[in-house]
Amino acid sequence: MNRPITLTALCLLVLLPMPSAAPAEPLSGGEILRQVDRNLQPGDLEMYRKIINIEPDGKQKEFVLWFLKKDRDKVVTLFISPASEEGRATLRLGDNMWLYIPNVGKPIRITSMQSVVGGVFNNADIMRLDYGVEYDVAGLTGDQGEYLLDLKAKSGAVAYDRLKMWVLEEELVPTRIECYAATGMLIKTLHFKEIRDIGDGVVRPAVMETDSPLYKGYKSIMISANLKKRSLPDEVFTLNYLPRVKDLR
Amino acid sequence: MRTRISLTLMLVLLGRALVLHAGEYDFAIPEAEKKSYDLGGRLETRVIHHRLNDDSARNALTYYGKDPGNAHTEWRGLVELSGSYGREVWRAFLLTHHEFVDTEEDDGWDHDIYEGFVSLTPSAHLTLDAGKKRILWGKGYAWNPAGFLNRPKDPDDPALNLEGRVFAGADLIKSLPAGPLSNIGITALVLPVLGDWANEDLGGEGDLYAALKIYLLWYDTDIDFIYFDGPDQPRSLGLDFAKNLAENFEVHGEFAFQQDAARRALDPGGLARETREDQMSFLLGLRYLNAIETTFIVEYYHNDGGLNENELEDFFAYQTAALEEWDRTGRNEILQRANLVTRPLSMGRNLGTDYLYVRVSQKEPFDILYFNPWAAAVVNLQDLSFNVQPGMTWVPVTNLEINFRVGIPIGPPGTEFGEKPDALRPEFWVRYYF
Repeated sequence: MNRPITLTALCLLVLLPMPSAAPAEPLSGGEILRQVDRNLQPGDLEMYRKIINIEPDGKQKEFVLWFLKKDRDKVVTLFISPASEEGRATLRLGDNMWLYIPNVGKPIRITSMQSVVGGVFNNADIMRLDYGVEYDVAGLTGDQGEYLLDLKAKSGAVAYDRLKMWVLEEELVPTRIECYAATGMLIKTLHFKEIRDIGDGVVRPAVMETDSPLYKGYKSIMISANLKKRSLPDEVFTLNYLPRVKDLR
Repeated sequence: MRTRISLTLMLVLLGRALVLHAGEYDFAIPEAEKKSYDLGGRLETRVIHHRLNDDSARNALTYYGKDPGNAHTEWRGLVELSGSYGREVWRAFLLTHHEFVDTEEDDGWDHDIYEGFVSLTPSAHLTLDAGKKRILWGKGYAWNPAGFLNRPKDPDDPALNLEGRVFAGADLIKSLPAGPLSNIGITALVLPVLGDWANEDLGGEGDLYAALKIYLLWYDTDIDFIYFDGPDQPRSLGLDFAKNLAENFEVHGEFAFQQDAARRALDPGGLARETREDQMSFLLGLRYLNAIETTFIVEYYHNDGGLNENELEDFFAYQTAALEEWDRTGRNEILQRANLVTRPLSMGRNLGTDYLYVRVSQKEPFDILYFNPWAAAVVNLQDLSFNVQPGMTWVPVTNLEINFRVGIPIGPPGTEFGEKPDALRPEFWVRYYF
């Protein structure tokens, strides 16, 4: 009597689907990009960023800025160091960017390819929106434990026409991004390093380094720290508010 | 016990220091510490060499009876101090300006409060300001016809601080959810004239002036509607816009209508006449950045209140005639009078009605970081005289900025730039921020 029951149980065990052992559904390119965005800039937040421009002779210049982000397409940065830049603020709303210089007294429109700090980083790098806002996934391949995403700009208003993004399969954060112009010329490469908790439990690469064939021997580094999840009213992300955004620190 | 605590504390601090500086990167950002106050300022020294234009009637009028030689040098030393203090919803701000000027004609200190105001921000939607604060409206780079309250600016030295205006004002902001209209901002100001320290250039003691600016971000375009009115100023309506057409291409413009505005001109006999008329000025401009990071700015400006071609000819003809008469008769009062009637017009930034501004700047050429050479030109489109001005800005070390430019006015006698007092105007200045 016991024998048929045991046999039946064994058969059932073999026949029943075992969810834990089933192969995981592979992620699509779009899902990978969404997860990369969520891991790099998780929701509404504030954080500090230190930008270091390094010249071939080792000479360095540092800038510290306060970075605010809301939704997927609203960014404000405020320079707090050095003294010559203190009080400068930038605003990005989608493709629109403005710079406010206290001495000038009015915000002026700037473009993504300009740089408010000199060096290799341009405004698009410093005030970067979620990648998914600006790029579509045009291709996905694997490359030694990493996904390789081929990203195509959604419009001509985006700083780089194509990106090649290498993403760690497990952590779903980028390790390297190559940025190309519409002509196919490599403009710069971004290297993501030092995965760690940068604040409020957010674990992601804390360091982004960039070099460019256009600036041979020069390097710029952006270090992210002191992240806090913080939601501010939409009105903070407006031109009229830009001159007094420092009051929110 | 105390020794043990000290030892533990030292080990903790040492451990923390090692952690922070472990590896290649320093993750510490001490500037992130929040302060309720800010203190800062800048020092500046500026040397301007004036190589005088022998053909300039203006020089003859300025220096008659003196021998200025063929050149002189002007020196300016400047200290600006700024501070702010804030708690919760309010913040107070102060910017003082202290300048020593040593010129051919004069030397001495000038002390001013450029800004001193209190701001109250009870919510992100509303800010109230009272005091003296900088106002700079309009989108133009070289001129702002719709900036009715703006102080004169130097487009080739944009970091120069400008004196504020005394006002009480409110600023309202509203962000809108998805749709073509994303933001609305309303700025309303009341400007009193008080003694010789508050808006005395606008009108008489006790006058009140009103200004309103409505900002819209509509279809990714900045649009401002501007209104300004008061007892001694023409009723003025302005419109400006700016839009990025591509990631490296921006267009902007301003339109200004002034009702019953004063128009000043001279007849060939030197008789000053002031008439009243409606004036419509405008500016159209663009900014373009190419692949090698050269920025081009081009602006066309129509100044409806400027001297037209005939008036410009009359103006210079009168100056020349006055000089010739003085040569003949030796009567100083001829030049005194000529100086008196022409100075108000010639002191303005531009005399004529139609101008072109072109500026080309190159970011960090030859891989020299923080070095930006540029060249700008202002062309009077009526007489085709112009001023070419090459220059550069370089920040060799943090907080130290070195600037150089040379103004070269070019044009025959009897044209705006051909009559400029300087034939060549090299200028060098250094700023240190702290």
